[in-house]
Amino acid sequence: MQKTLFVCIFFVNICFAQKADFNNINFSKADYIAKSYQSKNLLNLNEITFNITKDLETDVEKLRSIYVWICNNIANDFGLYTKNKRKRERFQKDSIRLHEWNSEFKTLLFKKLLKRKKTICTGYAYLLKEMCTIVGIEAKIVNGFGRTSTVDFTTLTEANHSWNVVKINGKWYLCDPTWATGISFPEEGTFYFQFNEGYFLTAPQLFFKNHFPIEKEHSLLKDKTPTLQEFIEMPLLYGEAYNILETHIYPNKMHQEIKKNDVFTFEYQLKKEIKIDDLQLIISSGSNERTVQPEISLQDKKLAITYQFKNRGFYDVHLYHQQKIIATYTFEISK
Amino acid sequence: MKTFKTISLNKSKFTCIAFCVSFFFFTATLQAQEIEISGTVKGKTYDKTALLDSVNILLKGTRTGTTTNKKGEFTFPKKLKAGDILVFSYLGLAKQNIKIKENYSVLNITLVEDDSQIFGALNSNKRYSSKKSKN
Repeated sequence: MQKTLFVCIFFVNICFAQKADFNNINFSKADYIAKSYQSKNLLNLNEITFNITKDLETDVEKLRSIYVWICNNIANDFGLYTKNKRKRERFQKDSIRLHEWNSEFKTLLFKKLLKRKKTICTGYAYLLKEMCTIVGIEAKIVNGFGRTSTVDFTTLTEANHSWNVVKINGKWYLCDPTWATGISFPEEGTFYFQFNEGYFLTAPQLFFKNHFPIEKEHSLLKDKTPTLQEFIEMPLLYGEAYNILETHIYPNKMHQEIKKNDVFTFEYQLKKEIKIDDLQLIISSGSNERTVQPEISLQDKKLAITYQFKNRGFYDVHLYHQQKIIATYTFEISK
Repeated sequence: MKTFKTISLNKSKFTCIAFCVSFFFFTATLQAQEIEISGTVKGKTYDKTALLDSVNILLKGTRTGTTTNKKGEFTFPKKLKAGDILVFSYLGLAKQNIKIKENYSVLNITLVEDDSQIFGALNSNKRYSSKKSKN
């Protein structure tokens, strides 16, 4: 069993090493250039792009500079988001009016992006693609389903998110400039810049956990691409997961049905060293919640968390690292 | 040995200068065919066509470029020659490559909307709760 597991992990490492492909490259120069270049608007996109890439030699550094610049400069426009969502839902069955709205909205969207540096997903993906094209890097926009705790797949009728695939040294890589930029708080209608390193050249298997592309080949998982139903049933991961995980190994599904006193093990491959003490497993029944003490093993960045469920009932199980939520699972425990 | 080296250097310098001078005359004769390009750019969306400001115009393969002004007009900062390609781009509209011909001087371009659909999902770190409906 252990042997197979080892082989599996080895395989996973080979297949999904992505940002790891560029471990020999130090991005600090690209990051510095991107962070120090200011522009009030995007009216001269050629000039901005040239200025943030001209002193960089490799394509991956140029891409990095463009990506970081976007993430540091383009705010998420909450107003635009709600307006578009409302209208698209309203015209859902009227293709002519939907097309009309899309066109009208696009004018508004790109004007806001160019002049006020605010946009929503497609605007980010579009901008990354355009800026890459300017410096001769091939990039595409990928439309699909983005999954967060607030997305309800029972009511979702069409794609809700856009991200990118970018070709570096003949190989395609994934990135999501929108979600790397910051966090929205829907109730307050606010947005905060907060760069998330984890969405840059993410391992396809991990990226897929919250990005389902409409065109299958954009998953970069080839014939191992799960179906939409399988995608919806996957464990729910949050932004912080992308900072610390290389792959999410087990379980494959968010919802688990087990028996009382069963022992359950969660498994992850980490991309950086962490302290066991920084991890926290919280079990919530809705009205009652407690932090439990599971058995945790951490070896060669392979993390295993084992816990015995002793009480019957329905629970949400949350994993935290340094008070930041990583993943949620649901457990139904029967007699 | 050393003298020989200097001589050979001078020789190559001379060839170089001679080449430059001849090139200068050569380009001077070409200058007659250099073209100053100006014009306007419009953007066409579903229901309207309007002059567009801030369209990026770039000489392909170089970093020489300009943008349209508030009235959608531009004058390219460098004289061009036949065969040069100008790239007109504006976010959300399909890019256009225009190959310069000898008889061109005024370019009136209309950029057409591309067929992208606009989506947006909010990034959220809000904790999932199965008991959502009871809240």
